[in-house]
Amino acid sequence: MAGYPILKISNLKKVYPNGTVALKNISFTVFQGEFLVIIGLSGSGKSTLLRCINRLHDPTEGSIIFKNQEDIATIKDPRKIREIRRKIAMIFQQFNLIPRHTVLSNVLMGRLADMPTWKSILGLFAKEDVEKALKYLDLVGIREKANMRVDQLSGGQQQRVAIARALAQGPEILLADEPVASLDPATCHVVMDYLKKVNQELGITIIANLHFLSLVREYATRVIALKAGELVFEGSPNQINEDWFEKIYGEGTREVHIQ
Amino acid sequence: MFKKDMKEKLKSFVFDGIMGSYLFLILVTDFFPLVGLESLTLDLFDENDRLMLDYATQWFLVVFFVLGFLSYVINESGLGKTLGEVIFEPPHKKSRVTIERPRWAQVWFWQIILFLFFTVLVSIRVTEFSFSQLFDEDGFAGVLRLINGLATPNWKLLPKAVSSIVVTIFMAFIATFLAIPVAFVLSFLAAKNIMKSPVGFTIYLSLRTIFNVVRSIEALIWAIIFSVWVGIGPFAGMLALMMHSIASLAKQYSEIIETVSDGPIEGIASTGARPFQVIWFAIVPQVVLPFISFTIYRWDINIRMATVVGLVGGGGIGTLFIQYSGQAMWHEVGTIILVIAFVVWFMDTASAYLREALK
Repeated sequence: MAGYPILKISNLKKVYPNGTVALKNISFTVFQGEFLVIIGLSGSGKSTLLRCINRLHDPTEGSIIFKNQEDIATIKDPRKIREIRRKIAMIFQQFNLIPRHTVLSNVLMGRLADMPTWKSILGLFAKEDVEKALKYLDLVGIREKANMRVDQLSGGQQQRVAIARALAQGPEILLADEPVASLDPATCHVVMDYLKKVNQELGITIIANLHFLSLVREYATRVIALKAGELVFEGSPNQINEDWFEKIYGEGTREVHIQ
Repeated sequence: MFKKDMKEKLKSFVFDGIMGSYLFLILVTDFFPLVGLESLTLDLFDENDRLMLDYATQWFLVVFFVLGFLSYVINESGLGKTLGEVIFEPPHKKSRVTIERPRWAQVWFWQIILFLFFTVLVSIRVTEFSFSQLFDEDGFAGVLRLINGLATPNWKLLPKAVSSIVVTIFMAFIATFLAIPVAFVLSFLAAKNIMKSPVGFTIYLSLRTIFNVVRSIEALIWAIIFSVWVGIGPFAGMLALMMHSIASLAKQYSEIIETVSDGPIEGIASTGARPFQVIWFAIVPQVVLPFISFTIYRWDINIRMATVVGLVGGGGIGTLFIQYSGQAMWHEVGTIILVIAFVVWFMDTASAYLREALK
């Protein structure tokens, strides 16, 4: 099922201005169409890794080759960086929506990159864009809430709006940074199921940071693990036995199960 | 170790030195009138005074270095802590466990006591504080006449007073209104979280400095400047208020912008949106309500300021007030004060209500 290599990451290194080394020589490949999950303790560099891929952060060294063509890690031109961000969408733990705006207007913000600034500020979204936005709201099952304000929705619903906004960008990869970490266990599965749907029905490659191994086993097609900024595991989810678990999360830790 | 604490030691040296020489200076100028305070300000060009001023400056420097060095010795020898040491103590030293002496046995305690004692004393002398003048009989009689006049206002002046305060309210309104767009644009350029690049930071720093300078010049002084420029009248008053409002609003706006949450900014940036779109869609929605709230409050302040600006010829009710008070027509002044009090009370309540409703 795995397709061609969509991202080839080699020797990626990230040092923050304050001297913290967040990533040390990370190398791995992401294949088109897979659901790759990154696991690791908080502070192990998972979020930094995702933010380097869509250039919300600038990597210090190394390369990220996108579709065997350009190296994301070394792009300097802000226009090209924005083009990469449009192609590699992202959803966040705290959803990062605009609370005072409606659901529809939030989803339409996924179209900003493709329209002139003056048009977007006047709110002149094309008819096709609105239709597209409604279609994606339909896909995540909250079309009927399109005219509600986002801050009136539950956390799970907000994350679905965020998925719809990401899809409106027309991305080839969807990065998900702890997408269910601030949701209750029941809602977790709803959101994860929609991510799975996006992955399988639209064929969009997903790279997600997750905490719960039970979710990893259920949704991931492949897993990598980070520990203190280093890649310590790469393989299929059912390879992670107790030994590996202790290696990744440290000795004496125990797995928490989520239904 | 020595190098590590150099900065703190130097700071405490300078602090104690300045504090000591400040005390020395007020002692010599006020208690031993070597150089009187008046001569410092009024007769700078008197040759004799200038000599004494030079003399005082030299002594000031000598005292500065002597006391600074003394404070250094005290802190190093462990005899006690000076105030400079207490304020600028490096954090790693603070966490040391030491046996503290009682407060009254500390050097810094006596520094504070001496500082307060002499400053209070000199302040009282400088303001010419006098109980005999405060409870003077003639003075009381004058105040009684005034209060009597205020208590029986001349209602015939009411139409004139009302039309004057309408001018004042409009003056305050248009000054606020014209200040909004300018302050709005400038505020984004003066917000630290937006101006991150080195060039941006320079713009941020210089704008903030300009705001502070403009704001620290009272609207009253701006009114005098503008009345020279465009002539005495409401226009000069309006320009003065606008100047002050731009600086104040821009500073308040930019402080609001600095407190926005980063989530939505990251969210919009991650869609590939351009910087201007990020500002418009991620920051503006977060700041609109506080902006409106601060703007209403600024209008409220401007009405009070416009009254004062009128006193120096800025037009409106203030100018009317100065005309009648100058002629000691206290009944008319009473009417004017009542009208001002009513309008200020009304605007205050209305703006508080509006701001509450906006939350």
